[in-house]
Amino acid sequence: MRNFTIRQIIAGVAILLLLIVFPLVVSQSFNVHVMILVFMFGMLGVAWNIMGGYAGMFSFGQAAFFGIGAYTSSYLLIAYGINPWIGLVAGGCAAAVVAAVIGYPCSNLRGHYFAIASIAFAEIVRIVFNNWQMVGAAEGLSLPMQNESFANFLFNSSKLPYYYIMLAFLLVSLAVSYFIATSKMGYYFRAIRESHKIAEVMGVNVVLYRLMAIMISAFLSAMAGTFYAQYILYIDPGSVMLLATSVQIVLISMLGGAGSIMGPVIGAAILIPASEYTRVALGYKGTGMDMLIYGLLITLISMYYPEGVWKLFSRLGRKLK
Amino acid sequence: MASKNCIRVLSVAVSLLLILVFSVSAKSEQKVIKIGAVYPLTGNIASTGLDCKRGVDLAVDIINGKYDLDLPLAKSAGLPNLGGAKIEIVYADTKGDPKNGMSEAERLITSEKVVAMIGAYQSAVTKTASQITERLRIPYVCSDSSSPTLTERGFKYFFRVSPHDDIFARDQFQFLKDLEKKTGQAVHNVAVLYENTEFGSNAGKAYRKYASEFGYKVVADIAYPANATDVTSEVGKLIVSKPDVLMHASYITDAILFTRTFKEMGFQPKGIMTMAGYIEPGYLAAIKADGNYIIVRSTFALDLAKKKPLVAKVNELFRKKYGMDMSENAARSFMAPFVLAEAINRAKSTAPEAIVKALQDTDIPGNETIYPWKGIKFDPLSHQNIYARGTLVQILNQEYVTIWPFDSASKSVVWPFPAWKGRK
Amino acid sequence: MPDQLLQQLADGLLIGLMYSLVAIGLTLIWGVMNIVNFAHGEFLMLGMFTSFWLFTLFGIDPIFSIPICFVGMFVMGTLIYRFIVSKVMKGPVLAQLVVTFGVSIFISNLAVYFWTPDFRLLPATMLQGTWQIGGVDLSIPKVAASFGSVIASVSMFFFLKRTKTGKAILATEMDREAALLMGINTERINSLSFGIGAALVGVAGAFLSTYYYIYPQVGGLFGTIAFCVVALGGFGSIEGAFIAGILVGLAQTLGGFYFDPSYKYAIVFMIYLITIWIRPQGLLGW
Repeated sequence: MRNFTIRQIIAGVAILLLLIVFPLVVSQSFNVHVMILVFMFGMLGVAWNIMGGYAGMFSFGQAAFFGIGAYTSSYLLIAYGINPWIGLVAGGCAAAVVAAVIGYPCSNLRGHYFAIASIAFAEIVRIVFNNWQMVGAAEGLSLPMQNESFANFLFNSSKLPYYYIMLAFLLVSLAVSYFIATSKMGYYFRAIRESHKIAEVMGVNVVLYRLMAIMISAFLSAMAGTFYAQYILYIDPGSVMLLATSVQIVLISMLGGAGSIMGPVIGAAILIPASEYTRVALGYKGTGMDMLIYGLLITLISMYYPEGVWKLFSRLGRKLK
Repeated sequence: MASKNCIRVLSVAVSLLLILVFSVSAKSEQKVIKIGAVYPLTGNIASTGLDCKRGVDLAVDIINGKYDLDLPLAKSAGLPNLGGAKIEIVYADTKGDPKNGMSEAERLITSEKVVAMIGAYQSAVTKTASQITERLRIPYVCSDSSSPTLTERGFKYFFRVSPHDDIFARDQFQFLKDLEKKTGQAVHNVAVLYENTEFGSNAGKAYRKYASEFGYKVVADIAYPANATDVTSEVGKLIVSKPDVLMHASYITDAILFTRTFKEMGFQPKGIMTMAGYIEPGYLAAIKADGNYIIVRSTFALDLAKKKPLVAKVNELFRKKYGMDMSENAARSFMAPFVLAEAINRAKSTAPEAIVKALQDTDIPGNETIYPWKGIKFDPLSHQNIYARGTLVQILNQEYVTIWPFDSASKSVVWPFPAWKGRK
Repeated sequence: MPDQLLQQLADGLLIGLMYSLVAIGLTLIWGVMNIVNFAHGEFLMLGMFTSFWLFTLFGIDPIFSIPICFVGMFVMGTLIYRFIVSKVMKGPVLAQLVVTFGVSIFISNLAVYFWTPDFRLLPATMLQGTWQIGGVDLSIPKVAASFGSVIASVSMFFFLKRTKTGKAILATEMDREAALLMGINTERINSLSFGIGAALVGVAGAFLSTYYYIYPQVGGLFGTIAFCVVALGGFGSIEGAFIAGILVGLAQTLGGFYFDPSYKYAIVFMIYLITIWIRPQGLLGW
């Protein structure tokens, strides 16, 4: 795959430095919160992109993995006092296992049939959790607020640790995504995306590689879920397993540029602030004007940049060479 | 090609610009006491959120202006102990999402510098919003969320004025006991029906608990998904179980659908007792006469005016401002600003610790509220208003009429539930 | 108890036919253009509001506003296709998904802006009350909607199979390039199908408005179920959507009645997953 030029590396490092300094300079915590959401949805978008953008499986059910991650770590913490960092890995594994179980029968589904199947799957997961007394059913789970420390994945007095942890998570997921894109696996994924039959003829184990894409994606989404639970400290099926969240993840990835490494992050960097700041500015009036503008923005971007805003940035990137 | 590109960039840029322009709206720099309020002002239950907002807005008018009313701080303009300072409510929209409840509460506190918080309506959102106020040590006075768990968390900065669902559920069973004693009509069993979100399932739990405590048999225990497309299977189950009384906890959408389906399928218990959705202004406006004879838990009804002239006066102001009668939601949210303003005035300070201390000593007599309570005084540990209690209203002639407690009733209850068939 | 079984069967059938009616328009658009129209639920909402306002402002009964809904929504559908959707037809599939999603957010919030988020219900219209047949209560508006659904499905079926335009639509559905080579103006077919799809769901909205509450977000759940119905029946198949709608309706009421109402939609989604596991192209898809 392509190598980075010195200039590109410098630009990347500069952006990273800017992001590291950002919360130290910006005093208003709401802006930090918006950036945390940008990172979180960026990560979810990157995870979606691995199965959607690379392997061509348009999932509209990512919220299920996100929710399973949030629920696993929270339940382990509340019921058995297990450290959330361990819960993070456990949640990722749980989501990956569920993904494999559901992904196997769906491995011969294509296009829209897969998309609708993922909606059906995610709705079933949500309904099950909503009625599952052991994990608090509809009342959800409230996480303990005491003993803040890095070891406990809990910070009351400042948002900064959350910010840096989420930034680190995002970088990890980008690294995974980059690794996949440049490895043999990435080529197999893309071969599957273009045509199942041809991929199979070329000797690619389609079922296996599709499963791998789904599982990696589920694992990363679940990590973001655990983060959400530790950050918000309250989860219920109505907030972590919503169809609207799944759709938002697809929107972000697509508008940013599905199939590119940085696309989903760019998408999150545009859409999340757009929706948060319009809500702040206009939502309190209750006229729906904020969402009106948001809908318009989505429509316009997808009409005029159907490949994603990524294209604009990649042109910039090429100039840097 | 170039011009096409130009249009593209332009149209996207213009919509981004729109966002920016609206975001940087001007902020007034008056000397006022800012209180933050989070409500679902857009999205699925926006109609309820806007209703709550009306109540709060009227309350602020009364506090800031001079009114001849028996409400705290009504007679003076602003807060006299703070040099007549005015209250300003800074609203934020949650869209009904707990995540937004948290971030908006934090934004209001850190960026807008509000000194206290009110609101949320949905208990799940109140939960996350109050976690933030607890973390940032800012007082939160809630008068519209009814999940019992909110005041079971031992929070230092969270106070609740209104009754919670546990109290409401107990009241409904107490009513059945009182009714049996008064009329001699026996009630043996109940069916429990609730939507399964955080509100409904908590209410269902409370219903089950008090059914066994009061000695009624639960013949059907049915949870259903909120915002359903069709509820015939639920009503079918109810008909088969033949309960004497139905207890139903529901938001407005399902309340409308269920009432229609009850009528269609001729579900005919002796009484239908309900929570929440049935008392929203949208419910009667939509369902009209089919809502008659249903009993709803309430903290407020306009017929209280007969015994409490204050209610009539407040409703008069409400009518003048919005052209409609005050609803139960608006009435519940109405009180929170008074409780806060009264405490701040007594504390003579807007320091959070001072306000919390004053709230702990709050003792507003019943005649200075618009509810049929003995007053407002918070439990030292849970911070639940110890005088808060529910009343029951029945829909008669498309109006909510207080029927219980029997001593504050303005009409006597119609029992059993008249047959659907014979009605006009 | 046997009464209740009949009652549940009847109601399952009635709500199922309503789902079919909502889904037919969606499956047409989907089959012809291979586009998932996320704004379908919002089209339904617009149909409901059209019927509501015609009744409230002009006293036109929903029965008579059905043709108005049909024409109005046809025009709107065509315009949305011409000015928005057609722009992304050549782009990636995802862009098509997202563009309709943007439209759906826009429309539902436009409704909030103009008509507030309040709930509305039509008062007594010409379609009201219940029929009692052999101990089973049948709601008249639901029965009327079911008739509407059957009529719409049958006429769509014959329109596609018997008329020249219909055959052109089917040809486009099967093979766009071949159709183009045969001299079919596929662009016109696209816009026509989008219009008819929107018009049909407009009719569904008019019927639904006689017994369901109306508010800007009402399209959400009906939309999701319609996706499921269409995929279950097979994309593009009118007969498939018709049968799948009934199946879903029956599964929902019987599942809710005999099992647990809180799982009734889970049962519907489960049936879908099992079906496509066995038949990946849906019941009647190809």
